[in-house]
Amino acid sequence: MTTTTRPGLAYDDAGNLLIDVRGPRFGAAITTLVLATALVIQGPVGVALVAFQTVMFAISTFAGLAWSPYGSLFRVVKRHLDLGPPPETELEGPPRFAQLCGFVVAGIGVVAFALGGADAVVGWVAVGIVLALSSLLALTGICVGCELYLVGARLRARGAA
Amino acid sequence: MLLRLLLVAAIVVTMALVGAWWQRRDGQVVSSDGRFRADHLDAVGLVGLDGVGGALLLGSPTCAPCVTVKQILTEVVDERPDFRWVYADAADHLDIADAHHVMRVPTLFVLDHGGRILARTSGVPAKRDLLRVLDREGELDPAA
Repeated sequence: MTTTTRPGLAYDDAGNLLIDVRGPRFGAAITTLVLATALVIQGPVGVALVAFQTVMFAISTFAGLAWSPYGSLFRVVKRHLDLGPPPETELEGPPRFAQLCGFVVAGIGVVAFALGGADAVVGWVAVGIVLALSSLLALTGICVGCELYLVGARLRARGAA
Repeated sequence: MLLRLLLVAAIVVTMALVGAWWQRRDGQVVSSDGRFRADHLDAVGLVGLDGVGGALLLGSPTCAPCVTVKQILTEVVDERPDFRWVYADAADHLDIADAHHVMRVPTLFVLDHGGRILARTSGVPAKRDLLRVLDREGELDPAA
């Protein structure tokens, strides 16, 4: 996936976007609020919230985190509350992969609602899974992308053999 | 509605507990009695450990905790100037990862002067725990 560079953001020597490690946790906190609200109220409004969140995942995944709406909101909040420089930066790869995972699972939910209506159980289970993982990131900052790295490397090695 | 509210609360509380448990075991130093040797150390360029301890860090190019572990190892070198460590991309050294059942990055092997594994950690270890392992090196039976 390629990314268009955006002025005012940090990139490493190879042109990869570097993000503030607090950004994904901030985004996950909003995702948690959106999906928790959706799961509680359900109905057409709940489904609309899930669809909205799926679009947010899609933008971050396909346009890159530089264009992430929650990331942009985080930069505004950071400026206004004077949160200071990032404690650390990280490459956008793993968090962007996490956005892809969110997009796929929440997307399954949207498809389930489209086919089975707002009461589709499969849809709400999918929403529950994304809610669980986004609340884990928001509360603890655990890097699920790091945990999957060796699994992916082993699968690729096996595929190449 | 109330039932769904409780369900959402249960999901969030469960994930908070899972996260807390995960963070508690993250970085824990697991001692090894030095019986197992880290093979293939030449492959990662960790040679000439004669007389000093060292460490091998398996990581990935995009892993933020790996950067933190590198920083901690640099601080260990400040206190133990003889201490030598190398970083290797786990995906480039799957033989080592498989031989030692490495499931995650960052995984750190602390080695004695003979290349025997004194301890390993997954996640971000505390510097004082690593120093404690290095200080204990002399207690190991060299014939083991």
